[in-house]
Amino acid sequence: MKLKLIVALALGAATTAAVAGEVEDQIRFRQSAYSFLGWNTAKIKAQAADHPETFNKDQVIAAANAVAAVANSGLLSLYGQGTDKGTGWKPTRLKPEFFEKQDEVKEIEATFIKEANELQKVAANGDAAEVKAQFGKVGATCKSCHDLIRVRE
Amino acid sequence: MKVEVHIWDWPLRLFHWLLVIAVVGAYATGKLGGNLTDWHARFGSLILGLLVFRLIWGFIGTTHARFASFFPTFSRLVEYVKGEWQGVGHNPAGAIAIIALLAVLSFLAVTGLFANDDIAFEGPLFHSIDKELSDKLSGWHIYAVNILLGLVAVHVSAIVLYQRLKKTNLVGAMLTGKKQLPRSLAPSPVKPVGPFRFVITLLIAVTVVWGVWSGGFVNYLAPLASFQTATAHPKT
Repeated sequence: MKLKLIVALALGAATTAAVAGEVEDQIRFRQSAYSFLGWNTAKIKAQAADHPETFNKDQVIAAANAVAAVANSGLLSLYGQGTDKGTGWKPTRLKPEFFEKQDEVKEIEATFIKEANELQKVAANGDAAEVKAQFGKVGATCKSCHDLIRVRE
Repeated sequence: MKVEVHIWDWPLRLFHWLLVIAVVGAYATGKLGGNLTDWHARFGSLILGLLVFRLIWGFIGTTHARFASFFPTFSRLVEYVKGEWQGVGHNPAGAIAIIALLAVLSFLAVTGLFANDDIAFEGPLFHSIDKELSDKLSGWHIYAVNILLGLVAVHVSAIVLYQRLKKTNLVGAMLTGKKQLPRSLAPSPVKPVGPFRFVITLLIAVTVVWGVWSGGFVNYLAPLASFQTATAHPKT
């Protein structure tokens, strides 16, 4: 009986670990998420802000959907203990202070989700100027997190 | 007996106050981010143009605008420390602060051209270097802001101290170009600004900023970054 419990607990622990991933996995997944995010924000920036003459409603909607999907994907689950050190695709730039600033971090995540969802809505209307304005708000939440917990090169 | 003497020429004063506006604007928009980052780039470009102007004006401007007239040489510093320095433009201690301010601002203006914020900003020369170097320069850009803040604090507190302790109105002098000086110190009058020199200096400054943004300089920089290939950053 006791042995069964231990085995069950051990299995449970192993499963949890597999979901959250090893340190390197978490770092790699989140770096990938931000790369993918960057691909999509770059499209929005190019089409809504820098070259509005190239604005393509469908592409911007697709990109805004992707941004919102990344924002809502539960990114913070990729920031387990110990993930301030380690190498995913490249060494992580997470500051150790991340773990002491959980309140601020969660607030930033909530704002990021809110603004990204709004961007998704705005994109559906197909107005470049509106998209640009809302895109700026999303960008500001990116910056607030970079300023707080990302190591400067 | 004091007399009013014209010290600072009008391009220098215009430079100074435009620089104040541009630095405050760049700092605020840099802190706020978002779509104001576009304005950060504009203020940065203005700072770059102003610095180019000041650099040239430091050689061909009127007497007290010239670096040679106020450069803090060793002998001038010794005189100043002994309390024997006599002059009417920037004193040697002030000159150190001014040169440091111009140097840090130049560093900020130049690194900003190559910077990126990993969000939605890429400086106009970002594509002429590789991303890793741009990331480094972007980090230094932000560290240098702290040095700038320190220097600005020194600059402003020195002006307040001069006002309080020596009753010298340096802000007024930078606005009107005139200083109240003892007759014994009053120098020969500063020559008027040469319109030709002013236009040439302005043209060079504008050309540099325009060249940076139009991509005209990227072609010249490309061979320097030999590790870079033209296809590394296709513009799609």
